[in-house]
Amino acid sequence: MAEDNVFIRVEDLDFVYPDGTCALQGINLTIARDEFIALIGQNGSGKTTLSKCLNGLYKPTSGDVIVDGLNSKVTSIRQMVRRVGYVFQNPDHQLFNNNCWDEIAYGPRNIQLDEAEVKERVEEAAGVVGLAEGYFNEHPFFLSKGLRQRVAIASILALRPQIIIVDEPTTGQDAKQSLEIMDFLKELNETHGHTIIIITHDMPIVAQYTRRVIVMGQGKIMADGPTAEVFTRSEILEKTFLAPPQITQLAQAAQSLGFNPGTLTVEEMMEQFQQLSKKS
Amino acid sequence: MSKIIEIEDYTWKYLNTQQPALNKINLTVDEGSVIGIIGPNGSGKTTLAYSMDGLIPGQYNGIKQGFVQVFGKEVESYAKGELQRLVGVVFADPEAQFTAMTVEDELVFGMENLGMSIAEIQERLEWVTELTDLTHLLEKPPYEISGGQKQRVALAAVLAMTPKILILDEPTSMLDPLSRRRIFGVLSRLKEEQQNTIIVIEHSLENLIPLADRMALLYEGELLLEDETQPFFQQTEFLLAKGVFPPGVVKFFYELMKAGRYSGNLPLTVETAQSELVKILTGLPKQETKSN
Repeated sequence: MAEDNVFIRVEDLDFVYPDGTCALQGINLTIARDEFIALIGQNGSGKTTLSKCLNGLYKPTSGDVIVDGLNSKVTSIRQMVRRVGYVFQNPDHQLFNNNCWDEIAYGPRNIQLDEAEVKERVEEAAGVVGLAEGYFNEHPFFLSKGLRQRVAIASILALRPQIIIVDEPTTGQDAKQSLEIMDFLKELNETHGHTIIIITHDMPIVAQYTRRVIVMGQGKIMADGPTAEVFTRSEILEKTFLAPPQITQLAQAAQSLGFNPGTLTVEEMMEQFQQLSKKS
Repeated sequence: MSKIIEIEDYTWKYLNTQQPALNKINLTVDEGSVIGIIGPNGSGKTTLAYSMDGLIPGQYNGIKQGFVQVFGKEVESYAKGELQRLVGVVFADPEAQFTAMTVEDELVFGMENLGMSIAEIQERLEWVTELTDLTHLLEKPPYEISGGQKQRVALAAVLAMTPKILILDEPTSMLDPLSRRRIFGVLSRLKEEQQNTIIVIEHSLENLIPLADRMALLYEGELLLEDETQPFFQQTEFLLAKGVFPPGVVKFFYELMKAGRYSGNLPLTVETAQSELVKILTGLPKQETKSN
């Protein structure tokens, strides 16, 4: 990873909640600007706590979180949220304004931008998520879940953060809606240059969209690497009660036939099948 | 097997809506069977679930046509509360059904309402907490436990009333893979040990498939496909067109079939897929001469 491309550096991070619960222990990682990362692990493994350390909501108990050269310990939340945005798992936990416009404008107003700039940012963010002007005066709760999620993402985008962390983007969505949301995040990553981190339990989604996987377990990083490689590390996955997607499991079960155990999608599986059947 | 639920030409339209939420549904459910109901959001799955335990038409305004019979009797003809003893519903959002300040009170609440004796309540409480692995959480407020634990409490509270028919509306939507396997583990124990009739609405198919005897596809209020699990997924082309994405191995074998490299039943599990794949690739030269 080129040094100048590094956006976040986490060094020896520990985080202990006021009640004494140690949620994160010895976390070390770097995140570059162009990455698309999945943060996976059991409920309670520290994924959300880590996210909240990355956006400065939580300050490290020990160790450092350095975002865009700023140490979160001495940087105001106002500065941090301009760099790292966090989209809640349930948009209803995040949306609270009476119309979509105010919802998206809340963040920019909160960091005290003038109204002209607020307007520009709301329009820009709404444009990126594809929220038509007709919805600006609608109450967010009258929108579909998919649209509410887009409003939630737009309200984060309006702060123009480099990194967007999305907590369980596909929960409660059907298959088609899930792909729409993920395609949209992919576009934010590829076209708009945002770093995307998703927290998810959906392994086929991880396989299809992300390039790097960070596995958390009991407050520690258990594995961190390219998606295909992490899914071949069965002993770590078992220890963290995770399993690769079904197609990867099939490729691993059929490894003796010549399939790559790091196969991630049905398309990759088909390509290999064509190759292998030519050979035999 | 006797028919425990019979739905005939059933149409339901909520008050003040243009389109019926469910349109001319015909469906029968055999006693002791597990049926999985899938379909895009907004296709009527939850409405169908509510129709089978009398919440519809009891608690909602709308227009009903056709018949929904449970144990041979139309849902409206049951006395208030009677049908709910026979049919238990676990809601998608567990918090929507919590009322008590501890997990134990939450589990006992339903049983007390049914007028059970203290001895019986005690016995069922032990059974259900063991089954759902909640013993260590009994003293906790239901609001302070994790999402996975909440969904198990919601399930346990309904199970404690030992309904004959169990309806689960996306029981694992908030869960990690381990908790998800645990919930489906509980369901398969119920199927084997108690012969409960179980109706599961679920998007996550990998866990549902090994459990379900039959599958149903709802789409824009209509029941488009209903069959035993294997023949159901044999219709993968149709399912894909309706926005249902079958699990990876089904999809892969469907692709092989399209490419003319496989015929026969689409495998539903990794194990059968693996052995079919061995057959195709090791028996290949022969097949190739055939297809040429």
